[in-house]
Amino acid sequence: MPTPMAEVPEGLVAVDLDESSAVVTLDPSLYPLPAIYGAAYVFIDRAYVLLDRSSDGPPGDPAGDPSDKRIRVTLVAKQPSPTREDLEAMVGELANEALACAYRHQLTQDNRVTVETVTMQAMAGAMGAPSLADLADFDFTDDALDDPLGIAQSWEEKHGKKPPGPSSAEPSAEPSADPSPTATADGASPSESEPEGAP
Amino acid sequence: MSSPTSTPTLEPMLDMAQLRPRAGSQAMFRFRPVGNRVLVTNTEGRWLLLTPDEFTAYARGEVVPDSPLHERLRTHNFLRADYRVQEAADMVRARKSFVHSGPNLHMFVVTLRCNETCVYCHASRANMDAVHTDMSRQTATRAVDLVMQSTNPFVTIEFQGGEPLVNYEVVQHVVEYATRVNAQAGKQLEFTMVSNFSLLDDAKLDWLIEHRVQLCTSIDGPEALHNAQRKLPTGDAHQKTIYWIRRINERYRQMGLDPTLYHVEALLTTTRATLPLWKEVVDTYVDMGCRSLFLRPIDPFGFAERTKKRLEYPRAEYLAFYRQAVDYMLELNAQGVEILERYAAIFLTKILGGTDPNFLDLRSPAGAGVGALAYDYDGRIYTCDEGRMLAAMGDTSFLLGHVDSARYRDVVGHPTVRALAIATNLDAQPDCVHCTYQPYCGTNAAFNYKSQGSIFGRMRDNTVCAVHKGIQDYLFEKLAQDDPAARQTFERWTTLRPREHFIQPAPESADTPEAGV
Repeated sequence: MPTPMAEVPEGLVAVDLDESSAVVTLDPSLYPLPAIYGAAYVFIDRAYVLLDRSSDGPPGDPAGDPSDKRIRVTLVAKQPSPTREDLEAMVGELANEALACAYRHQLTQDNRVTVETVTMQAMAGAMGAPSLADLADFDFTDDALDDPLGIAQSWEEKHGKKPPGPSSAEPSAEPSADPSPTATADGASPSESEPEGAP
Repeated sequence: MSSPTSTPTLEPMLDMAQLRPRAGSQAMFRFRPVGNRVLVTNTEGRWLLLTPDEFTAYARGEVVPDSPLHERLRTHNFLRADYRVQEAADMVRARKSFVHSGPNLHMFVVTLRCNETCVYCHASRANMDAVHTDMSRQTATRAVDLVMQSTNPFVTIEFQGGEPLVNYEVVQHVVEYATRVNAQAGKQLEFTMVSNFSLLDDAKLDWLIEHRVQLCTSIDGPEALHNAQRKLPTGDAHQKTIYWIRRINERYRQMGLDPTLYHVEALLTTTRATLPLWKEVVDTYVDMGCRSLFLRPIDPFGFAERTKKRLEYPRAEYLAFYRQAVDYMLELNAQGVEILERYAAIFLTKILGGTDPNFLDLRSPAGAGVGALAYDYDGRIYTCDEGRMLAAMGDTSFLLGHVDSARYRDVVGHPTVRALAIATNLDAQPDCVHCTYQPYCGTNAAFNYKSQGSIFGRMRDNTVCAVHKGIQDYLFEKLAQDDPAARQTFERWTTLRPREHFIQPAPESADTPEAGV
């Protein structure tokens, strides 16, 4: 039977000795989903791990709260007959790992340029320039240069005012999904295609 | 298992409520109480030890212009108004110079067979009849071919095991073949061998010395402790190792090599039984003629996983042991006995010298894959020594490829290498990002993975982090005491003197070598 853990606010953690399991409920507005994945993954050598939403309610109980967006992490110990202390230790470690992952997630975003630059330097320094044998395997076909999303186009080419004349009325290669006369081929309305700062 | 030491706090040295820090005049800094001072470091790794009053003035932005404190802060680039960006960038570049070149250290596990049984064997040694764990000449040849493709102009091939002398023929083959192919590669090439020496004989020693192979070994301290932890069937592991250390050192002397530079390097593995024997350990090393001692804590790899209940210890106890041992070494140095502690020397080179000695686990990012590669006996390539140790325990997470099929750029550009470079970058690591010791520190992804389940780890309860912080606390406390003798010893420990004798001489011919498989 699940029982709450002392010192932890009610409803967040439950330990079930009979089922060798522990359940931790995490708020995704505090712990980003990648952090919850990262923290839960650390346990797969010691436990069977299941993620679901608190809104689903307990298994077999259709009565859940649809507005509850919290994530529920269930850990079932692989170790036979774990003690309550073993299960509580897993809960504590999951909580700490979730915080570490959430914080690292934030730091990685904050320091992304530094980390990417150093990693790029380290990888490029170790790999060096490609040899002729490496180049032999490179893909030099034009496919790699295709630009279906128009990423290589300049802002003016993509969104700027089209010059007057019959060329501006040329049909798009792909028919627009939106038959509305106000939509252009890339879905922007004429007013949106005015360059910033234009009179 | 072990619990890390607690982080010191500024109270009661400083009343934080009264401190009321005000941003404005300071450049970016991190701080930490050390003894009765406050250590501040900046982005580029400059540091100052401030009194509580000085720190209060700095934190509150109330340093009097043109005062001596203002001048100290200015010259060390701690003031925003006078911040010298180019100077800081140059220092950061010098500290990170290792990122521009590829793997320097290439570890060859030429066999897993070993005639010695160590209670903590990290390498998961095999019995002497397990000949299938010997590296073949063909595998060794292909591994050397990969080594020579490294972008690093300096390359060291390190023979490991098992006991590498068990597969001596392949050691010889690697040395001869690598030297030949280096005629074209033009690397600054060195060889080292980590051996227990018990299978050494005069003919082998002559050959190894003639081919400039640097010899290293393990000594766990006094005879009784060493023989209890590292067992030969004859029960005399310590005696045999010591015998050969003396012989090798004597040979170096006969060759006219400076004994302060050329001597057998020995490594210690610290177990619970080592902790009370700090003095005996240091004395043993000094008596052997060793000039350096690496007080390494035990790792969780290999057999140490099974024997940890008997061998492990809280890291706070290790740090007490470390302090006693290094205090004693400083005393000996003050008396004219030259012995250095390797961990301290690595940190001090960064702290006092402003350069990085490129110790692979103490850099950011760590050297796994981008600074080192490990070639297992069966030809599999791993990011690091610990990676192949984990593979021996059944986990191949750090596997990069096989010498039969892998191309160099695929190995070092492997997604696992990239993941490890990101995971060991301290600029994205909780705790490290704010740690005062960040400019001098590093983390080991394989250790984090083994001990905490992810390559990132959690530094707050990470035992390697506890050791790194504890050692740097000790070093800065010593620097804060301003003892001229200790400072002089520390300065000497940071002096990097290249051992040029071990560099293979430039080849005479650049003819295309034959593989000699």
